[in-house]
Amino acid sequence: MVLVVLRRIGLFAATVVVASIVTFLMLSILPGNAARIALGVQATEADVAAQTKAMGLDRPAVVRYLDWFGHVLVGDFGTSTVSRRAIGPEITDALGITVILVLTSVVLALLFAVPFGILSAVRQRKPDGAILSGISQIGVAVPGFLAGMLLVTVFAVTLRWLPAGGWVDPGDDLGGFLQHLILPAIALGSVQGAVLSRYVRSSVLEVTREDFIRTARAKGLGVGRALFRHGLRNAAVPVMTVLGLQIASLLVGAVVIERVFSLPGLGSLLLDKVALRDLPAVQGIVLVLVVFVLLLNFLVDLAFTVIDPRLRSAS
Amino acid sequence: MLASLGLVGCSVGTASTGTEPDTSLTVGLLATPGNLDYTTTAGAAIPQALLYNVYEGLVKLDNDGTIMPLLAKSWTVSGDGLVYDFQLNEGVTFSDGSPFTAASVKFSLERVKDNWSANGPAYLDPIAQIEVVSDSQVRITLSKPSNSWLFNMSGPVGTMFTESGIADLATDAVGTGPYTVSSFKTGDSLVLATNADYWGEAPYMSDVTLRYFTDATAQTNALLSGDISLISGISQFQLVDQFKSNADFQVLEGASTGEVTLSMNNAGAAFSDVRVRQAVMYAIDRQAVLDTANSGYGLLIGSMVPPTDLWYDASLADLYPYDPDKAIELLDQAGVSDLSVAFKIPNLPYAVAGAQVVKDQLDKVGITANVTVLEFPAVWLDEVFANHDYDMSLIMHSEPRDATSFAVPSYYAGYDSPEVIAKFAQADAADAATHVELMREATRTMTEEAAANWLYLQPAISLADADLLGVPKNTPSLALDLSTIAR
Repeated sequence: MVLVVLRRIGLFAATVVVASIVTFLMLSILPGNAARIALGVQATEADVAAQTKAMGLDRPAVVRYLDWFGHVLVGDFGTSTVSRRAIGPEITDALGITVILVLTSVVLALLFAVPFGILSAVRQRKPDGAILSGISQIGVAVPGFLAGMLLVTVFAVTLRWLPAGGWVDPGDDLGGFLQHLILPAIALGSVQGAVLSRYVRSSVLEVTREDFIRTARAKGLGVGRALFRHGLRNAAVPVMTVLGLQIASLLVGAVVIERVFSLPGLGSLLLDKVALRDLPAVQGIVLVLVVFVLLLNFLVDLAFTVIDPRLRSAS
Repeated sequence: MLASLGLVGCSVGTASTGTEPDTSLTVGLLATPGNLDYTTTAGAAIPQALLYNVYEGLVKLDNDGTIMPLLAKSWTVSGDGLVYDFQLNEGVTFSDGSPFTAASVKFSLERVKDNWSANGPAYLDPIAQIEVVSDSQVRITLSKPSNSWLFNMSGPVGTMFTESGIADLATDAVGTGPYTVSSFKTGDSLVLATNADYWGEAPYMSDVTLRYFTDATAQTNALLSGDISLISGISQFQLVDQFKSNADFQVLEGASTGEVTLSMNNAGAAFSDVRVRQAVMYAIDRQAVLDTANSGYGLLIGSMVPPTDLWYDASLADLYPYDPDKAIELLDQAGVSDLSVAFKIPNLPYAVAGAQVVKDQLDKVGITANVTVLEFPAVWLDEVFANHDYDMSLIMHSEPRDATSFAVPSYYAGYDSPEVIAKFAQADAADAATHVELMREATRTMTEEAAANWLYLQPAISLADADLLGVPKNTPSLALDLSTIAR
């Protein structure tokens, strides 16, 4: 068991190092000179050369990499070449927003998917079950950014009930925070909710055909009680797997949703920094994202063993 | 100025009937500042937010482009145009409490040469000497007369700093202006609060939030939903019409200094022959480009001069009427057939839309334009601007009075005309009337020699809540002057 955990940690560390090297290499072949962007169209060649030196971009790539990654290991992401502020706090500020957005949308997706999926499984052969199934199919087909734009058009522009975008910190104004969170979270969560509800449906359908449900029903339990007592826990395992995979794609989806709603999250920060060729910041953000996804996978694995005792010995 | 004060008085009058005046304002803008330091960071975003609002110079440009007193109460110029005596406003302090005096002027302007790397430190090259005459008097002597010098002093390079306020310009802006920066988050917002110790009249709006958007639709949605009250400088003009028919909003159409330019590499093989460049002038239907790329908003100018400059010549817009046959004839004369050019454009909406029309029209005269879309600014700056690795591009030149820099042979356009260069130099040193005359001649020559095809002038369109007053209509400088806005 200890060996397994150690191996996992070792693998985790190795993945992070490889990811850091890949990130660094990819960014160093990116065309465009950060020094020239900083100085603009009036700068002379001499100015650009001096700025390149001041930014440390004239050093060999290996030196720059070791310098950067060495500092990252002790928690120092360096200083942004553009904002000239510490990158660490910039990333944590933005990450906080993205995490709140992603988690809220996961909760919304589950709140929608579980009852909806179970209902459409139980009512499988009835007309309303088919309608429910059709609704989730449409949900899968509508991309998040389109859902976002539709929500803005209806609830912000036409009805003026909610803001069209922007962000308010919960510490500053909790009401404003919730108002600004609701539309982007729905936009991001809707597709995931629809996808999940289909998995819940098929998973529940599968479980109802299992022997233990038949036994439970034979003992005199109704469909609902049999499912509730014995079925759902079993049905949850494949749903959790999908959810774990989806959180990674939610992070990507958040990049788009953050643009639609002008949220200063990690996705917006990443795109801004790429445009400005603020390479130390881009490297830091990508690395944080990689670590975040790896960590999520790790947690999902852990969650399996809690839900399904059979998997405990297997890991 | 008087009109806007009148408007302020008027709205205060309405406020006294019962409701508290709403003195907070949220403005939606597109380009976000990367930091707060325009002495070392290029781009219009930082001066747009800070110039005239947080930072001030001796002079400013009003909305019509006229040079007005700011920290200098008045000034006199010697007969030979070399000695400027500025009388400074007294009792002015920086937001950190330190006093503004003639010594601050000397300190700030002398800092430019060695410490500024962006926003045109060379604009102050004409200065030979700065003398502190008294606390409220400063004498600046130029090495040669310069008409552009005082104009440029109204821009970023003329900003007044205090020695105690420059330690961390990127994050901490200390100026003499009516506002101070109360918070700043890159890519999100910049919040301005009134400077309680401001030396001049306090602005009507006490709290101003500048919110930054990456998407023009998100920006207009925010205005429609009431999140913001003003969009200064909309970039996608197809979004404008919905506001014209809506009584809750006003649409202000003003003049900018942004010439949208179809540039040709004069020094490259494809366009070194003036006849080939002139063929491109006749081949392009500029009105069609304007209609497609800008939904018809904008002005055909035909030169690198906006109407706000005194040497603007409206007749240049008609110098090359749309005439594909003439273009083919000129190409024949130049002995050019099957011309194929590298048309490298930035990934900006107006450029992508305009390039398609240009490409189709060039096709009709037998020029094949191979369009490559480059990421802006990073890759475009590198390939086209710095390395001159292009034949043709399409980009807006937004700096005020930028025709002179366009004529520098090492500039990316590669246009080398000794006659034009000489005229620009003479114009700068001449008296006011001759200055205008020579500028008009030189810029006319640039169009005649087809140094570039200036397609149209980008309009400055602001969208605002209907009750907002004193919104700056034109953008003669980089600054978004918030001091005139009221409700």
